[in-house]
Amino acid sequence: MENAWIIPLFPLFSFLFLLLFGKKMKETSAYIGIFFTLAAFIYSLVVLFDRFNHPTFKAEANWLSIGDVQLTAGFEVNQLNALMLVIVSLVSFLVHTYSKGYMHGDDRFHIFYAYLGLFTFAMLGLVLSPNLLQTYIFWELVGVGSFLLIGFYFYKEEAKAAAKKAFIMTRIGDVGLLIGMILLFWQVGSFEYDEIFLAVENGAVSAGMITLTAILIFIGAVGKSGQFPLHTWLPDAMEGPTPVSALIHAATMVAAGVYLVAALFPLFTASKTALLTIAVVGAITAIFAASIGLVQTDIKRVLAYSTVSQLGYMMLALGSAGYVAGVFHLMTHAFFKALLFLAAGSVIHAVHTQNIEEMGGLWKKLRLTGPLFLIGTLAISGVPLFSGFFSKDEILIAAWAHGNTALFWLAVVAAFFTAFYMFRLFFMVFTGEARSKMKNVHESPAMMTFPMIVLGILAVVAGYVNTPWFGTFLGDWLVEGNAALGHGHIEGPAWIMIVATIVSLLGIFLAWLMYGKRTLSRDWLSSRAPYTYKLLYNKYYMDELYGVTVVKATKFFSVFLSYIEAFIVEGLVKTVAGIVQGFGKIGSKIQNGQIQTYGTFAFVGLAVLIVIYALTGGYLK
Amino acid sequence: MNEFFLSILVFSPLVGILVLALLPKTQESNIKFVGFLATLPALVLSLFAFFQHLGGGNIDQYDVKVNWIHFGDFAEMGLFKIDYELGLNGFSLILIVLTAVLSTLAAIASIHIKKEWKGYFMLFLLLEIGMLGVFAAQNLILFFIFFEITMIPMFFLIGKWGYFEKEKAAYSYLIYNGLGSAILLIVIMVLFARTGTSNIEALAKIMAMEDPATVSPFSDSLKMGLMIALLIAFGVKLPIFPLHTWMLRVHVQAPPSIVMLHSGVLLKIGAFGLIRFGMGIFPEQFESLAVLIVILGVVNLLYGAFLAFLQEDFKMVLAYSSISHMGIVLMGVGALNEAGIQGAIFQVVSHGLISALLFFLVGVFYERFHTSTIANLGGMAKGMPLTAGFLLAGAMASLGLPGMSGFVSEFMAFLGLFEEMPILAAIGCIGIIMTAVYLLRATLGITYGKAHREFAGVTDLKAAEFVPVLVLTALIVLIGVYPSVLSEPLQATLETIMLGLGG
Repeated sequence: MENAWIIPLFPLFSFLFLLLFGKKMKETSAYIGIFFTLAAFIYSLVVLFDRFNHPTFKAEANWLSIGDVQLTAGFEVNQLNALMLVIVSLVSFLVHTYSKGYMHGDDRFHIFYAYLGLFTFAMLGLVLSPNLLQTYIFWELVGVGSFLLIGFYFYKEEAKAAAKKAFIMTRIGDVGLLIGMILLFWQVGSFEYDEIFLAVENGAVSAGMITLTAILIFIGAVGKSGQFPLHTWLPDAMEGPTPVSALIHAATMVAAGVYLVAALFPLFTASKTALLTIAVVGAITAIFAASIGLVQTDIKRVLAYSTVSQLGYMMLALGSAGYVAGVFHLMTHAFFKALLFLAAGSVIHAVHTQNIEEMGGLWKKLRLTGPLFLIGTLAISGVPLFSGFFSKDEILIAAWAHGNTALFWLAVVAAFFTAFYMFRLFFMVFTGEARSKMKNVHESPAMMTFPMIVLGILAVVAGYVNTPWFGTFLGDWLVEGNAALGHGHIEGPAWIMIVATIVSLLGIFLAWLMYGKRTLSRDWLSSRAPYTYKLLYNKYYMDELYGVTVVKATKFFSVFLSYIEAFIVEGLVKTVAGIVQGFGKIGSKIQNGQIQTYGTFAFVGLAVLIVIYALTGGYLK
Repeated sequence: MNEFFLSILVFSPLVGILVLALLPKTQESNIKFVGFLATLPALVLSLFAFFQHLGGGNIDQYDVKVNWIHFGDFAEMGLFKIDYELGLNGFSLILIVLTAVLSTLAAIASIHIKKEWKGYFMLFLLLEIGMLGVFAAQNLILFFIFFEITMIPMFFLIGKWGYFEKEKAAYSYLIYNGLGSAILLIVIMVLFARTGTSNIEALAKIMAMEDPATVSPFSDSLKMGLMIALLIAFGVKLPIFPLHTWMLRVHVQAPPSIVMLHSGVLLKIGAFGLIRFGMGIFPEQFESLAVLIVILGVVNLLYGAFLAFLQEDFKMVLAYSSISHMGIVLMGVGALNEAGIQGAIFQVVSHGLISALLFFLVGVFYERFHTSTIANLGGMAKGMPLTAGFLLAGAMASLGLPGMSGFVSEFMAFLGLFEEMPILAAIGCIGIIMTAVYLLRATLGITYGKAHREFAGVTDLKAAEFVPVLVLTALIVLIGVYPSVLSEPLQATLETIMLGLGG
């Protein structure tokens, strides 16, 4: 545990090495990346097991001194960090492996692996940070990793726009985080998490300030985790290669916002307003994104909206004081969503399209991908015995127990939507008759199926570390020694589990009727409620709304300033130039060769000087 | 040896000028090589002094003071004499290193110069002497002389080796800076006449006294007047809105190698002067102007950022970006606390490196495509992946990506300002977002997207071009990852400033 700081250095080394030498190595670069992430994963496992038996370890050194203030850099291994280390390094390792097959034949193969290394380094650094400043530093670096990978196909205009949008939208959130963090610093005198919690506990920070800073920091999480209303970049980020979507935009980076709220949980619980804000934003996001997911036709976009929606669930859990529920769902979601994306990538790899209208009947052709996708779908839909069932149940209980009844019912409806759109996706891709357009459809190579199998197993079993039936090991361990995080398990009425199960089965049944058995017409919604359908299909016109408000306003203001520049400032320039020229002209007129004129000026000048001298006594005061 | 050290450092480019004078003007490669070599002694010596200081060496061991000019009998009392005195403190040492590094790199960038290499390099080296001298001068009159030495070569370098509207740019440069100099000269002369000294430290001491025994008295309003005059004089240089238009022209019209120095070092004299003279000599007046300075800073930051968003020419984007980034310097100094001032000084160095890198890259692709209009480039990552990659890295540094120098400076400036004036700081934060918006728009417009032109046969970075790019990027990352390399030498300077500010 004392050497946990080495973990992020493995992928960093991979990044630097591939940047320098990758070009000559071509596709063998993959083995460098795979090897170093595997090393990081193994070491992370060691650290996790170490953490089971030992207390939290923290070390830091001086980074920058400003007057008497010392800013430090270091690392901390607590329960949450150790768990995140394993999740991040595992998913990263699996994605590295998968990409060997998926990216085969790409010109910039080694660059792809270099970027993956950079991202993994930043993400691992983020989850080890013991203070807010360092968190912010890595927070921005993961953003760059994400930006570079979204824009990996840089020659595509869509990829360029998506990368730019992702960077700017998240930066809007980041500014909130930056302000919140600096304000907190001037209250507490430190960026250290421990110091902040201590100050909050001792009442050294006023209640208003806690609420303000907590909400500002939460804005950072909103941007990164694609929460409403800063979510629009996440679906567009699907322009990146699919393995990237699995790693960054499903399992790790987008969960960083959830992680941040969890890491600062004692700050948030100190403010009821802040908690409620989180819960409301989370619940709105959950149902909002799920409703959009109902009608999308791009396989990756459906998954993207489902990610947004699931992240909303996690926020709802944290906002309902369900620390364990939020972190638990973060973990299970990382596994089953990464699985779904990798399986989707395998489908895209096989059929070369992302439009689900053009797919169908793939179950027989993709004998491994099909069942694995089904496992992921069952897990996310909350079907009993799969991992998502247990973690979603925890969230619903937390929301109910905390008294957020309205939000609870929103979450239940969102669960119904989730089951429906996920199975809609499954039936449209894997059942029905095969399209004639698709030729030579074959299963992906072992390099790609192996990671999917690992994730498939985890998507089934990961839930059993924290169940109401066999024991809440994860929850008890996570909150051990820290009362501020709440209980390891929140007791809730048994009917919640039953309702959740019924709702998800209903969603699956409806999807089966419409897209499996087809007793209900597919355009059931679009024919009965065309406006609702259009609204959903166009994602509530959020992009258009931003286009006519924020973007237009920015342009307008810029143009307005350019007029000031052109007329007022340039006018000033002309005046200055004119005055200089004028003086020059006067000067040249005086030099007319007439001695009398020179004499007059000399005399007048002398007289003026004498008058000034007489009036001031020789001094200007 | 020590007493000659600084003089050798400052005047070492003179050797190059002499050698160049003896070379026939047609020997292009020899001239370029001599020009490059002549920048090396200053580089080696300044780095030597820097590392010695980092290792705990005494910084004032190189101070030199020689009698120079004196007026009448006052000299016996120590009044009204002008000495030749050079010296160092942490701040000026850092800027001298920056100047030496950028001069060497700009000399490499001058391989793209097409004509009259002899005259070019002679002026170039003269410019370097001026810049080094400005930071080493220990009295205001010597400072002013070096300050003027930078102006004349700059005028010719823009006017002769620039692009299409070079003459206009050169005159615009001369008029604005000439006016700034005139105001500065008035301030210096008033100070000199009233106190009998122009030594910076002595002036700071006299001004700090309750009832100083000056030759003639100072009223508070006169002090305030002088401070405002300083603000205007250095405001032209920095530049502060609305005194900035000359600088846009220079950025667009001057050859990239010269803009590297102009944007990298010359603009910084404005910040240097404000901190060293404004804050150093008139701390009280500076404090009462703090809110105004911060407001000017926020205006600069936002004005530059929003206008950079509209520009079609990448050079104009960078020019407005410089205005925007200098706003952060003003915000930092206006915060009047350690974090803010340290942030401002970091920003001075950081922006010097970053803008030098970006303008060097502009030179690289202008050389190949004869355009810097964003719409005419596009998709450059395809044909010139290295150039595109470094351009992106430069943009990232400029928009304050952690791990690079821009972040440390921006962060500290905002940290400082949030303690004193949170509302203004929060408004300034819009600038952080806008910086990302305009830089990504411009750099992605050049590097990403469909290729607008044929890249076949275009070479990526050549070996000689690779050196400056790599050195600058390495320095930017070094400061970003290990900021103590700058903050350690600055501690003593900062303490002096804070003492002057009374806290």
